[in-house]
Amino acid sequence: MVYYVTRSNRHAADDDADLGRYSDPPLLVLASLADGPKHGHKMIEDIARMSGSRLGPGTLYGAIARLEREKLIEPLPAEERRYPYRLTAKGLRVLRAKLATLRRFARAGLRKLEAR
Amino acid sequence: MNARLARRLAALYPRAWRARYAEEFEAFLGAHPPGFRAVFNVVGWAMYERVSSPGEFNMDQRQRSLVLMAYAYLAAVAAGVNFYWTVADTPLATAMHGHSAWFASWTLVRAGSFLALAAVAAAGLPVLAAMVRSVVATRRWDVAGRLAVPACAALVTLLWMAAAGMWAGGHWIPTPWDVTGNWTAPAGWPPLTTRWMLSSVTFALLAAGLIASAISVAQAIRRGDLSKHRRLWFAAPSLALAGSVAVMALGVLAWGWFAEQYAASDFHARNGGLFSSTNFASWGASCAVFLTATLIAVRGARSASALGSE
Repeated sequence: MVYYVTRSNRHAADDDADLGRYSDPPLLVLASLADGPKHGHKMIEDIARMSGSRLGPGTLYGAIARLEREKLIEPLPAEERRYPYRLTAKGLRVLRAKLATLRRFARAGLRKLEAR
Repeated sequence: MNARLARRLAALYPRAWRARYAEEFEAFLGAHPPGFRAVFNVVGWAMYERVSSPGEFNMDQRQRSLVLMAYAYLAAVAAGVNFYWTVADTPLATAMHGHSAWFASWTLVRAGSFLALAAVAAAGLPVLAAMVRSVVATRRWDVAGRLAVPACAALVTLLWMAAAGMWAGGHWIPTPWDVTGNWTAPAGWPPLTTRWMLSSVTFALLAAGLIASAISVAQAIRRGDLSKHRRLWFAAPSLALAGSVAVMALGVLAWGWFAEQYAASDFHARNGGLFSSTNFASWGASCAVFLTATLIAVRGARSASALGSE
């Protein structure tokens, strides 16, 4: 039934703009928390600035739930009905490792492009 | 977004998820700008949480393996229906009969489907019988209602097909796969647009019925007590199911390879249906869903085999 998902009719220009975006919600949430605790709305704004992707509310909480289950982030006490999260030590290690891999990958890819 | 809508959206998530996140999620949604995009995003993720996290919350190994078996089987049914309508009544079906190896891959899928049905029946029927006895004894009508959902969904779909068929003159029935082709209609069939409209409803009922069945059966199993059932009742059928779904997945992959070898032009032709897709795309979708079903079934088998260490 998957094949009945119809193709969107975005223009080619929109597709090109999409190419520059990065979308891996759990990693985006981890990266957003790298400079300190944040609540949901602040994470969305921060992620939009960093990656060009604006996460939907379900996507954000899907990522938060997964990261908390894996003990990569943890909740802090609520502040006026806002619920901030912060990275755990394990989350920090995982984020460092993932970003280092991405950096190596990006460098290698860019080198290949430059060699053309 | 207003508080009422936020509450309703949060209520779509599984109970265990709500126990942890409902309060803050409702507060978060309350401060989120309203819009269809946000609503669809939440609805989609709520469904995903319900379907993809059967093993994470408040279930023992028996319940987990049974829920995963149910999901794997329903996914295999969806993939099988899609594969059937990719082949049936197309030139590929005729071409397939001229090549024994190609036809053997089709037979492999059919054999896998019978084996999968037998495995699900072997695990499911004793559990179902025990659950029905327990429901009657304890008057747990909430569980009874959930167990009845698959039968009700099938009944509604069949009644719709019968009623729409009668309305359309009695010579044709709107099957879900009527949306996929515009083959020449025999005398007495309604026009193509009518056939597409009516069969789209059947298609939607089938899809909704499969999703509702998966969710309600999982909820019924979660509420039931399976501790008295022996390990073997779960381990053997779940292994058989994983094996048979894997056989079906292999059969479908092989079928596509043979189609590419022997009838590439028909394989890549548009099927002329409502969605104007190619047979190749439809086959690819079946492969993806069969492989997903295999992964879920293997997870179920692993859960069942872990029963010995409980």
